[in-house]
Amino acid sequence: MSADNVLIHVEELKKYYLGGKVKALDGVNCDIHNGEVLVIIGPSGSGKSTLLRSLNLLEIPTSGKIIFDGQDITDPKTKINLHRRKMGMVFQHFNLFPNMTVLKNMTSAPVQLLKKSKADAEKKAMELLERVGLADRANDYPSQLSGGQKQRVAIVRALCMEPEVMLFDEPTSALDPEMVGEVLDVMKELAHEGMTMAVVTHEMGFAREVASRVIFMDEGKILEEGSPEEIFSNPQNPRTKDFLSKVIV
Amino acid sequence: MKEWFAQFVEKLNNCFIANGYWKWLVEGFKNSLIITFFALLIGFVIGVILAMIRSSYDKNEESLKLRGGFGFWIFKVLNTICKVYITIIRGVPVVVQLMIWYFVILVSQDNGVIVAIAAFGFNSAAYVAEIFRGGIMSIDKGQFEAGRSLGFGYVRTMNNIVIPQTIKTVLPTLLNEAIALLKETSVAGYVGITDLTKAGDQIRGRTFEAFIPLLAVAAIYLLTVIVLTSVFTALERRLRRNER
Repeated sequence: MSADNVLIHVEELKKYYLGGKVKALDGVNCDIHNGEVLVIIGPSGSGKSTLLRSLNLLEIPTSGKIIFDGQDITDPKTKINLHRRKMGMVFQHFNLFPNMTVLKNMTSAPVQLLKKSKADAEKKAMELLERVGLADRANDYPSQLSGGQKQRVAIVRALCMEPEVMLFDEPTSALDPEMVGEVLDVMKELAHEGMTMAVVTHEMGFAREVASRVIFMDEGKILEEGSPEEIFSNPQNPRTKDFLSKVIV
Repeated sequence: MKEWFAQFVEKLNNCFIANGYWKWLVEGFKNSLIITFFALLIGFVIGVILAMIRSSYDKNEESLKLRGGFGFWIFKVLNTICKVYITIIRGVPVVVQLMIWYFVILVSQDNGVIVAIAAFGFNSAAYVAEIFRGGIMSIDKGQFEAGRSLGFGYVRTMNNIVIPQTIKTVLPTLLNEAIALLKETSVAGYVGITDLTKAGDQIRGRTFEAFIPLLAVAAIYLLTVIVLTSVFTALERRLRRNER
């Protein structure tokens, strides 16, 4: 992949807590290319969620650079709200707004921030809901949906902003097992359409099948990086081997 | 029994009707309501402002620090002022505050009701501030993050997402504060304001009858609280309706 294809460039990213006692990220370098699906795996506490959340500054890095669309977004002068519009984010706990209907959840940001007309925003939202099979739930409130349905709504809510990249922070970890599939299917479809995605997950099957590249992290560092075949079939780092031997039965 | 009842009616007549003392109760009750209403209004407005400053500082401390410049220091100073204000107000009995307003700060103000409104309003603000701040902080952090991740700025995230949920959460506690405030105004007599309690006491002084005027005063407070509660309950039900 050529360098000019890089959408997000991360350089020496560090995130320290308690004045450096806890190093959640300890010098991470990586690139996310246009159209690729980057899957980040690793044991809990390895810093993978922190890395993902740093990409749109939900965590403010202690030091290092994040270049997105040619701009260093860690520079305090950068208007981060403008960049966040271009990065969709999906959370482990869905974080739908309970005081709004599904449709309102999806349209409030495009209407207020992209200055779309209400009709346009709703049309787009309904198309997306149709695609994930939830068009009939448009006027329901989030509390009326199942976990899997909530997460599908959360995904299409982010898509309503027409982002350049989608960030997934353990999107299936809070779901009942029988609902994991429906969410992964939506993500697979997105990947096949060419959406750039960064996914933190424990779903190794998904990583193997969909990822263009897999990153293994531990103790705030990237220890190994490669294609799914390389990582899953022939891991080099002993810690990767150890981790995979525990998660893949 | 019949005799007792006749006596009771006679006492009622003496206490309220014969000399027109019922007008005192009406006047006192009116003052109590005016003080409570405007004090609540002041308390709510100032309290929400205090809560906004405190919670904005807590939520943005890190990013303000990184951005540098004056913003961080302005917020830090404001936050400290709010904290000191809340500490002092909550640490001093409301009667003492009322006397300070009456005999020191607003000594040239003749209208006791206005003094009481100021005293109870600024007192209530400290409690409302903490109620609201608690409410804002109790909203799941994920709600805030979801708003920000869509590109909403801090203010829009608060207005669209956090505040509407906060209001629902704090309504029961706000009702508590309103009830407490109504009853706290009963100390207004300390500085010569004729509120409901004082009016009852004056009737006692004239008629040498303690039980009946106090019973009436108690009943009026109780009824007011019951009405207030039902208004809030209806409001709460309405706000929650769309969540199921």
